[in-house]
Amino acid sequence: MNRHEHRRSSLAAAAVAVLAIGGVLAGCSSSSSSSSSSAAAPATSSAAAAPSSSGSAGAVSTSSCGTKAGVAATGTPIPLGSIVTDQTGTSFADIANMAQAYFNCVNANGGINGHPIKYYIEKEQTNASQIASLSKQLVQTDHVVGIVGNTSIIECSVDHSYWEGQGYYIIDSGIAPECYSTSNSAAVNMGPRYSSDGAVQYAITQHPSKIVFDQANVPGTTYIAAGPNAIAKAANVPIIDKTATPPVADANSVAIDLVSSAGKDGAVVLNFTPPDALSILSAAQKLNIEGNVKLWACSTPCNTDFLAKSLGPKWNGKIFVNAELTPPDGTNTPTMNLYKAILSQYGSAVTGGIGSFSQMGFVEAELMVKALESVTGDYTVSSVNAAIKGLKDVNTGMLCQQWTYGNYSSHLPNNMDYTTTANNGQMTLAPSGGGCTLISENDPQVKAYRAEAGTAPTDPTSTGG
Amino acid sequence: MPSWSELEQFLVSGLALGGVYALSGVGLVVLYRATGVLYLAFGAVGALGAFLAYEMLQAAAPQWAAWIVCILFGGLVTLLYGMIFGPALAGRDPLVRAVATLGLTLILFGAMELLWPPTSGATRAISLPTDNGGFTVFGLQVTWTQVIALGSGVVLTIGTGWFLRYTKLGTAMRAMANDRVITATLGVPVRRVEAAAWFGCGILAGFAGLLLADLVQLEPATLTFLVISSLAAALIGQLRSIAVTFAAGIVIGVIHDLLTPFSALTNYRDMTPFVLAVIALLWASRHRTVVTRSREEA
Repeated sequence: MNRHEHRRSSLAAAAVAVLAIGGVLAGCSSSSSSSSSSAAAPATSSAAAAPSSSGSAGAVSTSSCGTKAGVAATGTPIPLGSIVTDQTGTSFADIANMAQAYFNCVNANGGINGHPIKYYIEKEQTNASQIASLSKQLVQTDHVVGIVGNTSIIECSVDHSYWEGQGYYIIDSGIAPECYSTSNSAAVNMGPRYSSDGAVQYAITQHPSKIVFDQANVPGTTYIAAGPNAIAKAANVPIIDKTATPPVADANSVAIDLVSSAGKDGAVVLNFTPPDALSILSAAQKLNIEGNVKLWACSTPCNTDFLAKSLGPKWNGKIFVNAELTPPDGTNTPTMNLYKAILSQYGSAVTGGIGSFSQMGFVEAELMVKALESVTGDYTVSSVNAAIKGLKDVNTGMLCQQWTYGNYSSHLPNNMDYTTTANNGQMTLAPSGGGCTLISENDPQVKAYRAEAGTAPTDPTSTGG
Repeated sequence: MPSWSELEQFLVSGLALGGVYALSGVGLVVLYRATGVLYLAFGAVGALGAFLAYEMLQAAAPQWAAWIVCILFGGLVTLLYGMIFGPALAGRDPLVRAVATLGLTLILFGAMELLWPPTSGATRAISLPTDNGGFTVFGLQVTWTQVIALGSGVVLTIGTGWFLRYTKLGTAMRAMANDRVITATLGVPVRRVEAAAWFGCGILAGFAGLLLADLVQLEPATLTFLVISSLAAALIGQLRSIAVTFAAGIVIGVIHDLLTPFSALTNYRDMTPFVLAVIALLWASRHRTVVTRSREEA
């Protein structure tokens, strides 16, 4: 072996090592962003519409968010906390940022009985020890009396025992199973499993010959797929489960596989974050195979005007998306207008603008303010969390149902949803069956929750009343 | 077991993806042959160029200007790196030179994460006008972008082979691949030849980045680490053979996509480049051993 051959072979060996390391790096990056991705995505944002462009927003006063219009709160601050995932490929910071915008509005308009809210937003990168440390920091250093706006891939799994031990009742946007299956966490959204339930449920109403359910290949896929599988099975519709590793780098082959597996009378249901969902749908469009199935459906992350705009009118009435919150497009209720006005005036940090993420932040802050306003006496961990737990039949103006915390072993207070469809660059209510629909009790988790908590009445202040 | 008619569609999509892997792999080999540097920043340079093009398009700049900026950015950044760090690292072990480019990768990747952080809303994307036209093969629409991806790989492979064989600059690059010092003593302007190789490789990185941003996804991690598949192709070509590298890139893309409909293998298809590279290296190693033993026995 001469010098060059030796060098080449040693370099080749080194390159294999680099390949391996690179693969691991790429894999890590993938899986974290994917977790974030599919499992993650509690919802998505209709980023197309910037806050300032939101029609009636400018005309609506934000002063109604507080009790004393135009009077800044100057009392002792009420400390609240939040932990959100903010990492490569996945950020849920908009949810906490919108809650912050709501609190800023409250603080500028009288606060809570004169007390301003001081909101601590902690960001994590899917690191269990970091998350455990942040929760302790919020409690022991920042002395927060309530936790609101949490949206994290694993925070519920990591922290739920801690919160239970400390007596905190969390208002969050759920992703991990523990956000829904434990006593001290109640989400305003439905999360990936129940949103996929809704998408599959809608697809079944269109009588497909079979359903292909594809989601990001991340921990928790079996748990998520269990819901859609139970619902399809009860309807005697065959269902095929598939996964794709995010970020989806081979969208063409994924799209071909989905379409050929579903067949021309079948339905494809996706559970991905907006970038990956858009990759797959765009690939189907470029390959001209989007019409080779009966319909496409998607969990909440696809409910974004940006996606509808990117795909174009070819997808009008072809894709149906589960929507956990009232569609902002075309909704002209006082709550929706207040949301848009707060976003416009206080939401400069909300990068996604109008959409599900900021809607969730709005609702969570709204619920927390209602709880705080009901506290008599000092704002302590005990008094504030008792008030949170006592929230019952709240009209949020953003959800199909009234929202209740309650003393339950699990929490799924949002279990009725809308279905939207692409309509010339916007996501609007599906003309047939797009209104508020209960998630099927064929999902055993839904059945278990309703057996304990009952079925909440519809919210007359949202469009779905 | 999928039928052949089902596999046909995956063959078509795999060819397009393989074409870009091949294009990138050939760029890596050309640079390695001229400078002895395994350029791991190939993907990151292309990705950053694509993001710049995206920003220009958002600012309503003409599309052609955005594409040129993307491609030129790749060339200039790579040239700059080669001119600043190339001479300093020229005498070092090839592994050190490769790891240095990993440093550039991480810097560029960090810059992208900083400048284009993940958003909760809009997805970033580049769509080339060539996406709007094409033809149908096996029931699939093949866009002109995919044709360009595959065709440019073919053209590059043939063109580079011709360039290295018949031009003065190409001959100088081949000479440098054999021995940089002796080539320099023969009066070849080594620095200039290296600069040409760096710039050419960077141009290819920018071009591949633009195509991949359209064909795959405009996302920092995705584009940065796609170079791994190209690197596997280059390794299969033993960092020497442009034709083998090209073929390996195509094979990686095709096998990767063909595995998609096989439910037992579909979740492992991302391992395709690694498996093929390891098999090729083991084969090459065994082949060399056999040849050496035969020579000794003779």
